Amino acid sequence: MSDTTELIRAATAPSSPPPPDKVRSLWSDAFHVLRKRPVVIASTVIIVAMIAIAAFPGLFTSEDPEDCRLERFFGSPSAGHWFGFDQFGCDYWSMTMYGARPSIVVGLVTTVLIVVVGGVLGAIAGYYGGIWDTLVSRVIDVFNAIPFVLGAILILAIWRSAGDTVWPTILALAVFGWPVTARMLRASFIEARGLDYVHAARSLGASDRRLMFRHIFPNAMAPMMSGVPLMIGGLIEAEATLSFLGLGLKPPAVTWGSMISNNVATLISGHPLLLIAPATFLLATTISFALLGDAIRDALDPKLR
Amino acid sequence: MGRYIIRRLLQAVLTLFLALFLLHYLTTLSIQINGNPAYAFFGAQITPTPAQLQTVSELYHTDHPCLTQPGNPCFGNFFDTMKRYAEGDFGKDLRFRPVTELVAERVPNTLRIFAVSTTVWALAGIGLGMVAAMRREKFMDYFIRLGTIVFGAVPIFLVVLGLKYVAGVWFGGWLRENLGEENALSIIFLPSFDDQHPWLTILVPGVALSVIGAAGIARLMRTSMLENLRADFVRTAKAKGLKPGRVMLAHTLRNSLIPVITLIGLSFGGALGGAVITEGLWNVRGVGQLVFNAVRQNDTPIVIAVVTMLVITFLLFSLLVDLLYAVLDPRIRYE
Repeated sequence: MSDTTELIRAATAPSSPPPPDKVRSLWSDAFHVLRKRPVVIASTVIIVAMIAIAAFPGLFTSEDPEDCRLERFFGSPSAGHWFGFDQFGCDYWSMTMYGARPSIVVGLVTTVLIVVVGGVLGAIAGYYGGIWDTLVSRVIDVFNAIPFVLGAILILAIWRSAGDTVWPTILALAVFGWPVTARMLRASFIEARGLDYVHAARSLGASDRRLMFRHIFPNAMAPMMSGVPLMIGGLIEAEATLSFLGLGLKPPAVTWGSMISNNVATLISGHPLLLIAPATFLLATTISFALLGDAIRDALDPKLR
Repeated sequence: MGRYIIRRLLQAVLTLFLALFLLHYLTTLSIQINGNPAYAFFGAQITPTPAQLQTVSELYHTDHPCLTQPGNPCFGNFFDTMKRYAEGDFGKDLRFRPVTELVAERVPNTLRIFAVSTTVWALAGIGLGMVAAMRREKFMDYFIRLGTIVFGAVPIFLVVLGLKYVAGVWFGGWLRENLGEENALSIIFLPSFDDQHPWLTILVPGVALSVIGAAGIARLMRTSMLENLRADFVRTAKAKGLKPGRVMLAHTLRNSLIPVITLIGLSFGGALGGAVITEGLWNVRGVGQLVFNAVRQNDTPIVIAVVTMLVITFLLFSLLVDLLYAVLDPRIRYE
């Protein structure tokens, strides 16, 4: 495979000094490897499309998903209504478009929260060590003791009346999601703080803040950032699972998870599209994030191959 | 080893205590902000008299005055709850049945589904990871890696729904038509759990549940195998002239399994969440279904009690895994 040789070159590049005018960073090297792979291109296109749908659902449909007329129930697909109508006579294509937003928003916002909170706490624990490390590590243990999905189910079950926004879902997922990132960054910081270049910078009089942000963080960031697309995909999966259970957004708001949950029986009752349509959109999104994430992780961390 | 066990035990007790407090605090905060959950007992139509509300509140232990002060951590209430947990009292559901009783009668089915899914994910994960590592950069490697990525990205409820219709309704329906209702194969591929044949009907949902862990295990197994295949001791073994099969099994595979053990604990946590969905959708009368139904019926006391029990189970399990790891890998306990 040609991308293998690319990767080997990427992995060995730092040891064999490249010509001075063509120095590439880890990131641009990774980008050059990635942009040629068909899997990466395809999944990026799907992800961009899903984000566009989530941001501007009105561009993709002129129907209102809440304009439901019972006389159209289970109507067949037609030119203006590609996916037909559900049991309440709502236009299913427009529901599918509007259902993208909660999934994408939860995936992106929760990831930002997790990266910030987990990153900062992990960096503090790893850099300062001692009491800080003990403290943060204990807190990580406590949150890790509660399995991710169970914890989110519990929070959303007891906060059920919290309204019709995606914030309860985001918070529930972030509360039990940050320890993994914190642990990862802590490990990177512990590894880096003993390295020669950090000692060198310290002996030149660099402050703690400068050491953390200018010297250690750029190096510790790669493993964390390479996990981000996978994290987004996983969180979208979790959001769909929660809304499938009826937790999270309340009707009339639509999500792919609740659309699947409401139409489970239609597969045998003769309207399979009502189940297949949201499931396909959901799967396309999560699988694209997973494939892209895997490719990015490989490119940024050639050791894993 | 003794010191490691003691340190790990103390740590586990502390973590358990703090985790229970975290659960208590989340619950308390929600009651303080959202109001007395005893109202859920009466439903939306009935407005209870103060006396009725008081009785129900006492039953569910939501009558403590600190539950009306937002932000108050309610330590007194916490210790009362811990005392009740220690006595084996995990509260009652909205129909006054003790939760411990409800859970006890459902544990066997949950153990069954975990037995099946653990066997499947361990065998499939380790086997696939091994094959991928041995065929590195060949077709099988790419195929298995793509498969684990794609399967890892499918939400568990879609896996279960897919299996329910493909294996249970269509394939199972065809089997029942051609082999008869009483044939073992027809029973295995029933689309939902049957109390009469608890083992046969749990095989398919067990496989569905195993998907959560198998992909991760396969990936870790592959990386760990690759590392060991390059290791000096494997080269030495080959150089000594040992048979390739023996080098593979005794030197490479055995050492590659050690890091996989750490993932078992993590997968168990994921599987507990997955069991809620799988048992719920397959009508398996297990602990997970209890949570699934309680979520659907707004029976919050059950959700809290059962999740608490599962968290305790999960912690005990993680403790066991850690101790096992220390036995197998001496580097851990000398840390």
